[in-house]
Amino acid sequence: MTSRLEQLEQIVGAPVIDQLRRMADRLKPLSLAHVNSTRIGGGVAELLNGIIPLWNELGIDTRWEVIEGDQAFFEVTKAMHNALQGFRTIIGKPMLDHYIEVNRRNAERLDFDVDFVVVNDPQPAYLIEFMRKQAKKWIWRCHIDASKPDRHVWRFLREAVKQYDGSIFSMPGFSRNLPHPQYLLYPSIDPLSDKNRELSAQEVSAVMDRLRIKRDKPIILQVSRFDSFKDPVGVIEAFRMVHAHTPCRLVLAGGEATDDPEGPRIFAQVQEAAHGEPDITLLLLHPESHYEVNALQRAADIIVQKSVREGFGLTVTEAMWKGKPVIGGAAGGIVLQLRNFRTGFLVSSPEGCALRIRYLLRHPEVGQRMGKFAKEFVRDYLLVTRNLRDYLALMLLLRGAGDDGKGLPGRTVVL
Amino acid sequence: MVSPDQVALNPFWFNECLILTMPTGKTAVNLREMLQTVREVDAAVLSYHLWQSRMAIAQPEVEYPNDFAIWAATSLQDSRLAEKLSVIDPFGFEDMEQVREALAEIMEEYMWNLPSVPWARPGYEFHFCEASTVVLLRPRIVAGSLSEFRSGLANVGIDSIYYHFVDARWRLRKSKTNDFSIWIRDSFGLPKLVAALQGIDVWFYTLEGVRKAIMDLIDQYMEKPL
Repeated sequence: MTSRLEQLEQIVGAPVIDQLRRMADRLKPLSLAHVNSTRIGGGVAELLNGIIPLWNELGIDTRWEVIEGDQAFFEVTKAMHNALQGFRTIIGKPMLDHYIEVNRRNAERLDFDVDFVVVNDPQPAYLIEFMRKQAKKWIWRCHIDASKPDRHVWRFLREAVKQYDGSIFSMPGFSRNLPHPQYLLYPSIDPLSDKNRELSAQEVSAVMDRLRIKRDKPIILQVSRFDSFKDPVGVIEAFRMVHAHTPCRLVLAGGEATDDPEGPRIFAQVQEAAHGEPDITLLLLHPESHYEVNALQRAADIIVQKSVREGFGLTVTEAMWKGKPVIGGAAGGIVLQLRNFRTGFLVSSPEGCALRIRYLLRHPEVGQRMGKFAKEFVRDYLLVTRNLRDYLALMLLLRGAGDDGKGLPGRTVVL
Repeated sequence: MVSPDQVALNPFWFNECLILTMPTGKTAVNLREMLQTVREVDAAVLSYHLWQSRMAIAQPEVEYPNDFAIWAATSLQDSRLAEKLSVIDPFGFEDMEQVREALAEIMEEYMWNLPSVPWARPGYEFHFCEASTVVLLRPRIVAGSLSEFRSGLANVGIDSIYYHFVDARWRLRKSKTNDFSIWIRDSFGLPKLVAALQGIDVWFYTLEGVRKAIMDLIDQYMEKPL
């Protein structure tokens, strides 16, 4: 059985994997711990599932620790998550005390006798308060769009975060005022995961049959939660404008936004908007339906992500990796990924979305070319190998002998 | 012409270079803020947005050569300003303060004649970043002849190409050269090749495009096997 690194070598090329091995060799012996709050479900767990085995294959002794908490704890952290994303949230002192207490109990249970700890998101952020001395370097990685956080919640969290040696954000606009170096690491996708690995035509067909989606007309797809930020109703509006000109199907696939109080109302609106149109399929998928999402993306002719607010937009990255033309809302990291007529289309309204869908239906060769560029763009910058390289560079930097500044501007370490 | 196997006096080591982006927290939502911040930020911020950022993330085709021009085109939707900002070639200046002055001059002059300040649409703000750089010396590939050099070029990561051919133009701006040209000059002479390499317009190639352009030129100056 080939290792994951060997499998990745087929995808990104030997020079990329060789470089990772050399960087790891310069760091060894090195021990590392990643901490988050769940092993399954959610983008962070997906990211860690992809990256942890690679660390160990590189010879870096890496552990993945998950903090334990009761329901009250996760209610606080959910509220904290929403508050960081800018929702006004009131979290009382007893709740915050409970949050700190759960972190303290986890600190008693965990043992971080390692060189680096990477703490993911707010849930385990306060571990540092109790475990600072155990590990040499502490890094906080924030996966959330914290560009306009609730002031009170951020002030509380900042007390812990400022103790770290550095923090990592996913977009330049998400960074905060902190007394330590902040780094930008783009999120990444794992090309070996069920959501992104190559599928045969038979596998794709089998999933489409099982989901009862006919492939007699071009398929337009949006995969995302049914919440207002992803504008599913706007996608249906756009589809109706296109449908009046050209036969096609629309598939809206995603999970219900169970943690969003607006979720059920939005889904009802989507059902209402889709009512009476047999060419629209609404799919409520289980959060772990990665394989089905992969097949849907591969079966689609055009993929839409018409978000009006977005973090990085990894669903766009996944769609680009499938070599499909992607139409995205001009928001968050989507702006960074899609460039009109090159790697995709950016739109700002249902009308704009309809315009670009109609164009791509008439010019499939342009869509193919954009999809090819899009896939190469992801291969170069947004695969797990790139994430690993950036982490390795960060560790080399933090461990480096200090500034050398041989003619290069900024902070430079020569090793 | 030179024999592909002629041994160089000193071998060429391809170094590796890793760029980590560091957000500064400073943003600009309109051209006035952009001008103000360009005047105030560390020189490292300007270097990042003029040439280092292409190592962080870059579109597969180059339309405008630096982040300021790209921002003018995509965020302010002002192609005239983007064209003017595209003219800046930092490697032609003596130091970053001169580059800063030239950038500010373009922006100020442009704004002078406008009836209102151009604003970026929401979500298209400019976020100022700088870079931390890790350079790995003598990591793996070394070349002792032109044919080994050509084969090394084909096999190194694009970060090596960036370091020796793009970033080097800043380090070696006073002598207007780059690491590859220096090594070829010192090892084999070949003044025409040396000049042609320095003549490659790095601003309008992707790094892969730069790699290919260098290899194509070297092929022209290497004797073909009989």
